[in-house]
Amino acid sequence: MASVVANGNRDGQSLVLKGVDPETCMIVFKNHWAQVVKILEKHDPLRSSSALPSLSVINLTASSSGSSRFGPIPGDEASAVQNYVEHMLFLLMEEESGQAGAMGPILEFVVMENVMERLFVWSLRREFTDDMKLEQLKMYEMLVGQARQPLLHHKPILRPLMMLLSSCSSTTAPAVEAELVLLLNQLCYVLAKDPSILELFFHTSEDQGATNFLIFSLLIPFIHREGTVGQQARDALLLIMSLSAENERVAKHIAENTFFCPVLATGLSGLYSSLPTKLDVPNEEWHCLHKEDWLQMPSLIQFLNSLEFCNAVIQVAHPDIRDQLVSYIYNGFLVPVLAPALHKLTLEEVMTTTAYLDLFLRSVTEPALLQTFLSFILLHRHENVHILDTLVSRINTPFQLGIVSLALFRTLIGLYCEDVMLQLVLRYLIPCNHMMLSQRRVVRERDCYSASAAKILALTPSCCSPDRSPPPLRQLDSILFSKGGETPDNSGNTEEKKSFSEENDGSGNSCTIGSEIYLDVSYLHYLYDARLSISSCIRACQVWSAPYDGEDPPPEKYQPAGSCVPPGTDPLPVNQLELEWDDSYDACPVQTADASAERGPPQPPPAEPPKHIQEMRRTARMLVKGSYIEENDFQDDVMVYDLIAKKDSGDVERTGKPSGSQTEETKPGSAEVPLKNGLNLTVPSPAMVDNSSNSLDAKANGQTDCNANLQNTTAVELGDDLLAQYEELIRTLDHEAGGKPVKADGEVKKPITPVEVVVVEEDEMDFASFSAETPEPEKLHSPFGTINRFRSGSATKNNSLPFTGPFISVLLSRLENMLSNSLHVNLLLTGILAQLAAYPQPLLRSFLLNTNLVFQPTVRSLYQVLAIVKNQIEELAASKKDFTELITAAQHWLMAREPSGGSSGSNHQEGGRILKNSPPPKPKAISLERTEVFATVLFTEFLKELAAIAQEHSILSYIPMEE
Amino acid sequence: MNLNPFWSMSANTSRKQRSDNEEQSGHGEQRASPARMPFGRKQLPPIPKNAAPITKPSPLGTPMQSANGTHASYGPFYLEYSLLAEFTLVIKQKLPGIYVQPSHKSALMWFGVIFIRHGLYQDGVFKFTVYIPDNYPDGECPKLVFDIPVFHPLVDPVSGELDVRRAFTKWRRNHNHIWQVLMYARTVFYKINTTDPLNPEAAVLYEKDVQLFKSKVVDSVKLCNSHLFDQPKIDDPYAISFSPWNPAVHEEAKERMFTYKRRPEDHHKVSQASGLSWVKPGSTQPFSKEDNPPQS
Repeated sequence: MASVVANGNRDGQSLVLKGVDPETCMIVFKNHWAQVVKILEKHDPLRSSSALPSLSVINLTASSSGSSRFGPIPGDEASAVQNYVEHMLFLLMEEESGQAGAMGPILEFVVMENVMERLFVWSLRREFTDDMKLEQLKMYEMLVGQARQPLLHHKPILRPLMMLLSSCSSTTAPAVEAELVLLLNQLCYVLAKDPSILELFFHTSEDQGATNFLIFSLLIPFIHREGTVGQQARDALLLIMSLSAENERVAKHIAENTFFCPVLATGLSGLYSSLPTKLDVPNEEWHCLHKEDWLQMPSLIQFLNSLEFCNAVIQVAHPDIRDQLVSYIYNGFLVPVLAPALHKLTLEEVMTTTAYLDLFLRSVTEPALLQTFLSFILLHRHENVHILDTLVSRINTPFQLGIVSLALFRTLIGLYCEDVMLQLVLRYLIPCNHMMLSQRRVVRERDCYSASAAKILALTPSCCSPDRSPPPLRQLDSILFSKGGETPDNSGNTEEKKSFSEENDGSGNSCTIGSEIYLDVSYLHYLYDARLSISSCIRACQVWSAPYDGEDPPPEKYQPAGSCVPPGTDPLPVNQLELEWDDSYDACPVQTADASAERGPPQPPPAEPPKHIQEMRRTARMLVKGSYIEENDFQDDVMVYDLIAKKDSGDVERTGKPSGSQTEETKPGSAEVPLKNGLNLTVPSPAMVDNSSNSLDAKANGQTDCNANLQNTTAVELGDDLLAQYEELIRTLDHEAGGKPVKADGEVKKPITPVEVVVVEEDEMDFASFSAETPEPEKLHSPFGTINRFRSGSATKNNSLPFTGPFISVLLSRLENMLSNSLHVNLLLTGILAQLAAYPQPLLRSFLLNTNLVFQPTVRSLYQVLAIVKNQIEELAASKKDFTELITAAQHWLMAREPSGGSSGSNHQEGGRILKNSPPPKPKAISLERTEVFATVLFTEFLKELAAIAQEHSILSYIPMEE
Repeated sequence: MNLNPFWSMSANTSRKQRSDNEEQSGHGEQRASPARMPFGRKQLPPIPKNAAPITKPSPLGTPMQSANGTHASYGPFYLEYSLLAEFTLVIKQKLPGIYVQPSHKSALMWFGVIFIRHGLYQDGVFKFTVYIPDNYPDGECPKLVFDIPVFHPLVDPVSGELDVRRAFTKWRRNHNHIWQVLMYARTVFYKINTTDPLNPEAAVLYEKDVQLFKSKVVDSVKLCNSHLFDQPKIDDPYAISFSPWNPAVHEEAKERMFTYKRRPEDHHKVSQASGLSWVKPGSTQPFSKEDNPPQS
């Protein structure tokens, strides 16, 4: 038969067959069979012509060894049988079923005479080689795939098939595997079309004494296979999965008796381990894995295939299977593999894992699987710290990790997931402690007259005023809000027009809005985009459990545990020397009595903080009090960031004061004094740090992160790696120092001369060579020097002080540094904030957009930060003569990159913005190094974006919902 | 637009064409929202091609700069959105028997119609126009002018203007809203007030000879209703116009209005398309819903 396939229509048989009457076919079939039987019987060891041994008692190994006992079957006889069989099967395949679905005569004969079994036994009698298996598999594949009547209902056909399949289970020959999977795939299609056969498949298995669902078990080893074989196997398995949704027995069998789910989940782990641990980042702008990136990485393609398969299984399978799979993915992949990978030792590795996680989140679509990933991120604790907290803390790292982390959060926020938003932002806003008590009613208030938008737009730097730009960039036009005169000059209309205006004149009503004023046309695009993103967000959030409007959930119920400051009263003085350690990592801020009970998988926080956290606090306190000595056991980057945040609480009032930096640092009682001492004690090159500009602070902060990740390494490794980071830091600094923007405090920064660092070619640097020469204390303590200098901190975070959460803090602190951020960081940052602002929940909306809301003094608002940036820009513009020209150049440069449309993966939210994530052409007039110039342009656009969102909120959020 | 009640309000043909085009270019969901002013789309010029200046060059050197540099450029947007906000408030109030629609030409002019269902003015259908001052919300209160001067003590017999100002002596932003004006317009037909009338004759008759007043009112209602099918007084695509009942046109619409229900399955589909939540109502814990698959 197989050779019929191979050789095409040998003897032109099939052509002839069409016209041949069934009786002739039957006669031919019987004749062939008679010939075959002759040969079969001649070699039958039992010589009993009629009573063939039933297959169920044949032991496969015995019979194959038996073949030698009776001597080899002559080749001419074997090929004769082969020829006859081919013809016979062809006849069988072509036979139409009889009347009313009855068996056709040939099929009936095949069933009665047990033809298939006898043939299978015959092939076993000969040597059962791979070739033989291949031949048999192809034979069945033809029969199953092309027979015109159902064959599998008949045990005499099904049983030898199952025997064949099980004899192939241990095969390793690729050709046999391919054929086996193809046949299995065919069988699954038949099953999917006709589930009634399913029972037979189980029964047949039972006859063999095996309870397994053979087709299924045979497919499992191919789940993670590459190429066609893997794809066919997965397709076939999916067919069975959808069968399982309707068939309890199949579902139960798969969940209880097979290793399907564990194999799938652990397969993910296996595939993950073969992914590159470090990605080659193409350029600084790179922030996430786009399709064109991962298409270059076969191992990643394979992983995504398997992930997609899991996603599909979860989509179609029975809930039992789904739950089991999800649980295995959580406990077999996410926790043991991904969590440690997210805490790897080097920045590059952590960055790579973060990018993978982002890609996975974007690839998964099935809610149950997304939930698994999200609950891992939100609830799982790795070494006692929630993954989410670690991820949030990394936003503030310089280098690629910060950018990639931002991109990850863009993905998370874009999910419109209540649980995510709750953990990131909302839970900090629910108690309403961030605002004055009297302001709570304002939360739901509607900004009828666009007051907030006006206030936001009033922050537009004078150098960027829309009517300052030269013509091509100027987007001013007179927009006709009043359309009275708009009608074309068609004579018929003049009268009507007249009547309209006459009517107007008559009643003394001028119905004109701003017709003689030149307006910023680009603003219309922002309004349009705002409308789209808010309305899709509103629609998405309809599934949420609460409106988050300052009443539901009730703020009273969710006051932070142990809060000693009733809302509305004055907060504690900020600069107290005794550090108030934030407990949000070991005690959820909105935890209530019922909350801890509710929490399922993660254990309620222990009453006593974990030892390492206690240790951390002690260290932190020592550091702040200036008694910090040499031992450094900051074990966790989160903790370090916390410390920074804490220290920054002393900086709240700094922001408004130019040139206050020096005096403030020496102010008694300020947390910074001891810090500074600590720095001078331990950092050998204070001059360098002192001279550092703002960017150093930001950059160096990353060191903290990397340092924190180094906890488990040996001293040498630690030194090496840190040195690598350090080296990089210095290099970046050196690179950027010249044109760096001045901080708000107006200090004039001297260009930095790296004293001790040899600049080596990037790729050839051998960090190990430095380690011996570098004194240990410096390696260990440089990060803390940066803490001292790190000024862009998050808002204060304290149990007793109102706090809007680490995520908001870190976003705002990066935003405050806008002028020194690279363009793409700012694009991501403003994109995320705009995405947040589009959320309709009054708590979030009022916090971000309502400029009339009065916050607690320690709470930093978006508006405040924007005002700080505006002041920085105004100072900059005043101090630099060519600033306006640079702005124009930057605007041109940014405009130029817009039309290059097909930017991959660009968010729909960014649709109408003038700035998109497309690869930029090389700048001509302006260097990207002038971050402050680009930031200024972006800042102006961001204001428009926010104002447009605020305006659309005042309409959309109040349109009565279709209830 | 879908305010159109089944008693055969129909649009001018010009309006129909226009709105069709607009609806197509826009988004489906906007069709459902009556508050939707076509402003955003209508105004939207094609995405500006950077090379070609899309703007009329504004007079150089004389930018309209108010004290606060940005105000001039954006002021009209604030006004437009304030009016949109007012309109959504009107929708929300669901004022009985009152329908309004901003004009096509300007958001400062709204067309409306009021149905009086009982009382002296029963069966009256009065079309009116609301004029909003262009310094809204800081100016005077809006004007409300009936197309045909209704016989009423507070309606000017010549201009048809309703005396709104007596109810809103000073227009206070944040406190006064246009829906209140509309509400007031409805109230005057149920509770007749004769002090300081704009139509002294009506006031006097109401006080002295209610029967005559009543018959004059009936005449006035008849007059108004007899002009119901007239062309709108102001030519505007969004002006409200009525046409006689025509089963071929209106029956189906009426049918749909009466059988209309929120389709829960549609709603479901939409919400499944995006948005996720595993938070149990009444909780603030993530993944607190019971139907969570076990994680460990």
